[in-house]
Amino acid sequence: MLNVRGLSLRYPTGKLALADFSITARAGELVIVLGGNGSGKTTLLRCITRTLTPTAGEVWINDVNLTRLNGEKLRRARLALASISQHAALVRRRSVVANVATGALGHHGNAWTALGGLPRVELAAAHRYLEQVGLGALATQRAGTLSGGQAQRVAIARALAQRPRVLLADEPVASLDPEAAEEIMRLLRRLAREDNLVVLCVLHQVELAYAYADRVVGIRGGGVVFDVPRAEVSREAVRRLYMSEAA
Amino acid sequence: MIGDVASVRGARRVPGGDWGRALGHAARAVLVLVLILIVVQSLIVVRARPQDLVTGIHGMADIIRRATPPDFSKFRTELWPALETIDIAIFGTIAGVILAVPLAVLAAANVTPSRILYYAARSVIGFARAVPDLVWALFFVTAVGLGPFPGGLALAVHSIGMLGRLFAETIEHMDMAPIDALALTGARRVQIFTHGIVPSVLPALLGISLYRLDENIRSSLVLGFVGAGGIGFQLLTAMELFQYREVSLLLIITFVIVLAAERLSAILREKLA
Repeated sequence: MLNVRGLSLRYPTGKLALADFSITARAGELVIVLGGNGSGKTTLLRCITRTLTPTAGEVWINDVNLTRLNGEKLRRARLALASISQHAALVRRRSVVANVATGALGHHGNAWTALGGLPRVELAAAHRYLEQVGLGALATQRAGTLSGGQAQRVAIARALAQRPRVLLADEPVASLDPEAAEEIMRLLRRLAREDNLVVLCVLHQVELAYAYADRVVGIRGGGVVFDVPRAEVSREAVRRLYMSEAA
Repeated sequence: MIGDVASVRGARRVPGGDWGRALGHAARAVLVLVLILIVVQSLIVVRARPQDLVTGIHGMADIIRRATPPDFSKFRTELWPALETIDIAIFGTIAGVILAVPLAVLAAANVTPSRILYYAARSVIGFARAVPDLVWALFFVTAVGLGPFPGGLALAVHSIGMLGRLFAETIEHMDMAPIDALALTGARRVQIFTHGIVPSVLPALLGISLYRLDENIRSSLVLGFVGAGGIGFQLLTAMELFQYREVSLLLIITFVIVLAAERLSAILREKLA
């Protein structure tokens, strides 16, 4: 379970990017966060991963409070938290399967992995994760030769190799065509259900949220505007999310 | 009235009007004058006497006559110095690469572990580059004696400067998204380096190293002039003994080595691209 409690972030400039933001996402649930540009969506994910340190609030993964941790303890706790973003961010000159296996590096601190080697057991697992995202046939291909949709699925397989409890997705379909976008969203929903993952996904495509989310969270000015099951999402409330602050 | 309109149009064409235009012309004239002065002072300082080329043509023709045909009977004895020359360059390049990689990582602003190490690495790289390889060779000849070893050391140290800077720039311009993604998986710093940074920049670093090897082969020819071994040393000795036919043979060997190194380096770099 992912539990975000009263998360706030104020930048040194004085701007409040997150304001007392709270959300709970259960295992097996795909939660989609909707909001306009600058509403605080990406800041929320960065605070959850502790790439940014929140000025107040707590982030819990099951019974671990991430905001209390630092150094090696934080690194270990982060293993339960995988991220994918708009760009697949693969090492283009490495094979697809090697890219996937690097997701598990955090579990191995030996000299072999420090010298650039990958554990055999993780390479075998990487093949399974690639099968899971439907790209088993491309395992030995160079990552740089993949299409945008394929690369994003490899990024998801790399996230799975991390063996996380929570998967954070920051606009994962923003640079994909509609068909590839639907594929990725279907995959995220399936992973939430079958692997019992918490999937927290930031999106701009409202229709995809209507189609795939278990719950939809609206964010505006860094705060929660609504947090409801998909069936209860009001189109008017969503429309208001994207109106400029001045309006 | 017509004069007024003309002056308004003129003012529109050149900001500041006639004064602006006059200042522009004056600035251009000063610039041309400065350029002429630079050329003239360089001719005076180097004591350029083109007429000497004409009067010296007989001397040059005499050297060419005495240098032909090349003395191919010495070909076998020149093979070892030729190999020495190539190996000085190989040693210098490999040692330079080995030392330049860690320095480049410290000297790349996007991956350096601390600002102090960044400035320290930049200083070492800058110093190694600022001192010419010939001066390094003189230094190492004094330190370890005559022969190919000081030549190799000189090229290694100078290569640290050249390679360190180019490697650091390559790392600074790399796509950081895969590195950030690896960091988020919980990978350790050393794993991020070996699994993210190395595979991303390796082809570029190999290409730069091959180019450096090509440069080092040229440099190692000259290093022999200060006693650092190789074909350069043979060339100097033959010239001092007026053995011009041997000189011409050595020049042919030099030409073949340089051309072969250049082509091989270009082919390999093309394959890496």
